[in-house]
This record gives sequence, structure tokens and C-alpha cells, in this order.
Amino acid sequence: MELEALQAALPDVQRLGANLVAISPQLGRYGRSVHRRLNLGFDVLTDLGLQLAAQFGLVFVLPDYLETVYRQFGNKLDEFHGENAFRLPMPARYVVDQQSVIRSANVSPDYTMRPEPSETVATLEELTKGRG
Amino acid sequence: MTLEQKMDDFKAQFESGGPPYNAPKAVIEVFHRATEDLRRSGLAERALKTGERAPAFTLNSQDGKSISSAELLAKGPLVITFFRGHW
Repeated sequence: MELEALQAALPDVQRLGANLVAISPQLGRYGRSVHRRLNLGFDVLTDLGLQLAAQFGLVFVLPDYLETVYRQFGNKLDEFHGENAFRLPMPARYVVDQQSVIRSANVSPDYTMRPEPSETVATLEELTKGRG
Repeated sequence: MTLEQKMDDFKAQFESGGPPYNAPKAVIEVFHRATEDLRRSGLAERALKTGERAPAFTLNSQDGKSISSAELLAKGPLVITFFRGHW
């Protein structure tokens, strides 16, 4: 749902001279399939072993009671991620400027909440203005 | 429709227990408990924030290309979305 919304905002992102990437711990073949299915115009990157997500401080281990439910539904995170653990990143969206400084950070412990793409575009607009 | 509205609709549909998800009540409760536990852990507050430096990365794309943050940032600002995956 979020990736579709970001796809819709992609022309605005690009108009402002910015790039967009989506990062998940899923192995390449899963990234490939989501990229094709949603017909995305931006890259979907594989964060093997959640190493980058860990550097951002986003990684959590699923509690046993949640892992049990995931397994019941066939969500084999260990297989999808190629590791022996059930771990996920919290959903997060960052805007990073050309000096590598984070200019906006949205991190949610609630997987049903996401910032609007329009907020992200607004941050980029501020950045562009600052440059001009 | 905004993304928030779409997510809210999905949540309402899921938590109704009806089709197409037919989620049992016990499962919905597990998800609530997990979200509450994660919130209480304070992990989100400790994640990288505005004003901090973003770590550099080089990761493979969906078609096996190596993509680096340095190359992307040379062209302009960068939006990074972390997502859990589509199962």
C-alpha cells in the first residue's frame, strides 16, 4: 500500500531532483516480484541480514507469540530473509540531504501507520528552496 | 484517498474479522499485543532522528545491480523507505 502511494508521488520526488529507494530484508527474488507486480519506477533494495536497518535502529525480534501466528499464516520470515531468526524492521521513512544529514525521520512501532507521501515531498521542497 | 485513509480502511476491514481476511479474534489480539509491546519497548524513540547522519550503504536492487547511497546522494536528496516486505 505504501509502495503504491510512493509510486504515485515519484514524479514529484524526481521533479525536485531527489531519488527514492525502498529497502526490505527480503531476498532478491521477493524484491523482484514486488517490483514487477506493482510496476515500480524506483529500486527495491535487499538489506541482507537487516544490517542497514540495524544501523538505523529499526530492527526488532518478533516475540514468540507473534512468530507462532506468522508461521500459521505461512509467513516464513526466516526463509524470506535467508536467516535463522524472525526479525523485522519497523516501518520508517527518511529524507536524507546531500551531506548525508537526515532531514526528516518517520519511524512507527505501529505497522498500520505511515506518513503521507505529501509530507515527504514537502520536506524535499524545503530542501530545494534552501539550496536555491 | 490519502495513504492514511487507505491504511485505516484496511485495518477496519481486517479487524472486522470478515472477508477477505477472516481474521480470528485471537489473531487480531496478538497483533494488538505485539504493537503495544513494541511501542512500550521505546525502540522507535531510539532510532536515528532528524539532524543525525544517515549511514552509507551499498545494496543489491531487484535486478541484482549494486546501488550505493553515495552515488544517489551525488545526484540529489534521497528518500529511503524501510518496509517489511510483501508476503
